[in-house]
Amino acid sequence: MMEETKIWVSPFHWLRKKVFLFRPPWWDSIQFILLIAVVIWLMSMSTARLGYYWQWYRIPRYIFRIEDGQLVAGKLIEGLMFTFRISGISLLFAFAIGMTTALLRLSSSFMGRTLSRGYLELIRNTPLVVQIYLVYFVIGPILGFGRFSSAVMALSMFEGAYMSEIFRAGIVSLHKGQWEAAHSLGLSTVDTYRDVILPQAMRRILPPLTSEVISLFKNSALVSIVSLSDLSLQARIIAADTFLTFEVWFTTAAIYLVFTVALSTVVYKMEKRFKILT
Amino acid sequence: MSEKKLGDYIITVDNVSKTFPGGIQAVKNFTTNISRSEVLVIMGPSGSGKSTLLRCLNGLEEPDSGTIIVDGIPLDDNKKHRLEIRKEVGIVFQSFNLFPHLTALENVNLAQIRVRKKSKTEATKMTMEMLDKVGITEKADSYPAQLSGGQQQRVAIARALAMMPKVMLFDEPTSALDPEMINEVLDVMKNLAKEGMTMVVVTHEMGFAREVSDWVIFMDEGMIVETGTVEHFFENPQEERTKFFLSQIL
Repeated sequence: MMEETKIWVSPFHWLRKKVFLFRPPWWDSIQFILLIAVVIWLMSMSTARLGYYWQWYRIPRYIFRIEDGQLVAGKLIEGLMFTFRISGISLLFAFAIGMTTALLRLSSSFMGRTLSRGYLELIRNTPLVVQIYLVYFVIGPILGFGRFSSAVMALSMFEGAYMSEIFRAGIVSLHKGQWEAAHSLGLSTVDTYRDVILPQAMRRILPPLTSEVISLFKNSALVSIVSLSDLSLQARIIAADTFLTFEVWFTTAAIYLVFTVALSTVVYKMEKRFKILT
Repeated sequence: MSEKKLGDYIITVDNVSKTFPGGIQAVKNFTTNISRSEVLVIMGPSGSGKSTLLRCLNGLEEPDSGTIIVDGIPLDDNKKHRLEIRKEVGIVFQSFNLFPHLTALENVNLAQIRVRKKSKTEATKMTMEMLDKVGITEKADSYPAQLSGGQQQRVAIARALAMMPKVMLFDEPTSALDPEMINEVLDVMKNLAKEGMTMVVVTHEMGFAREVSDWVIFMDEGMIVETGTVEHFFENPQEERTKFFLSQIL
């Protein structure tokens, strides 16, 4: 008879299995409720200590109010619309700048590689706030840019630099066999990028690109330093006027959160939809 | 060796050398001529430079010295020459290199539309013809990942053939395949050879070599060790290196 092979089993194996693998469905719910309870308790503790007097009922008018029987957007929503506008336009430019920089960086032109590298390092290694001031006070006036255009320029230059690195990573992650196959079929470099490389690269970089879009949306709050009335500037004005500091900033954070989470969800769905089989 | 009219060479390789960065010399002073409608099989141990030589023939690798002339066009720095040669020389890779985001049909269509400037209808007609030739018309709308290795390689052959090349290069086309899929690819290649396609095939498939090759080059360390017909290699190899290699693979 064959000798029985003994496999060493940790004495904790049984325990581990019992404790960590067995999770009844109510356990998740209890955890969630506990978490919420702790958060509420902490908040009430801290506001009680500050002696803060909550006045949530004064907030809705800054979101929507009713004038002559019509629903009118409040200050916060006006700010949000501006935030949408400036981040949308900056996103288009950032995308174009990022793509151009990535392609130049990967090109055979020495000049192109040096320029794109220089731009990237310059932008990546200085704070966005400094860039916004520089563009607003120095470059903007030289180019005859107004406040809005200056802010768009600063934002899109900043995000474009980060996007270029994401594009580059996506492009170089593809197997060199794809280039070889395309080239040996006689496809030009432009055709190869358009039909073979970028469609595959874009799908791969969707997750980090989403993070960059979200960060652009949030970074647009910084344009308030040049007095552009985006969501965060509106919030600051309302908070200063009404002393509803907690309510206003919690509401503002929630508005940002709603849209960034929505964006992540949409992209997550897209990712599944456009997945390339491998 | 089949009798060919002297000088009717479609590919001339003269004194070609290629050294990779890092100092590995892959091809050393290689000279050979390939006639029209000829099937040349290149064999040799791994690292003998056979793939590098093959890739030099369509400009995927650039030789350091020597000249390559394909159908009268010199392979040089001139981009137009390079493009012309790529249109005339098809290549099939060991790892297929299909475009994973396109269906089999789109894979074969792409270069016809972009390079040959065909309309989509014209291209599709040719594509279906080629897919029929390699026996997988029913997989036209499948993505590469939905195909077996053998089917992927046959799509890759169809993709190269759709460009109407004068020469087909095969870089170990069956080495990445499961054993039961090797024959479906070899059969396609045999038919192609019988139709009179000029072929340069890097392979160790002796059955294929025996059936269709006109002659065989045995390479080692970037140089030709021995050339001759398949029969010569089976019956009467001259060099020790060749004998040893054949004893290993047969």
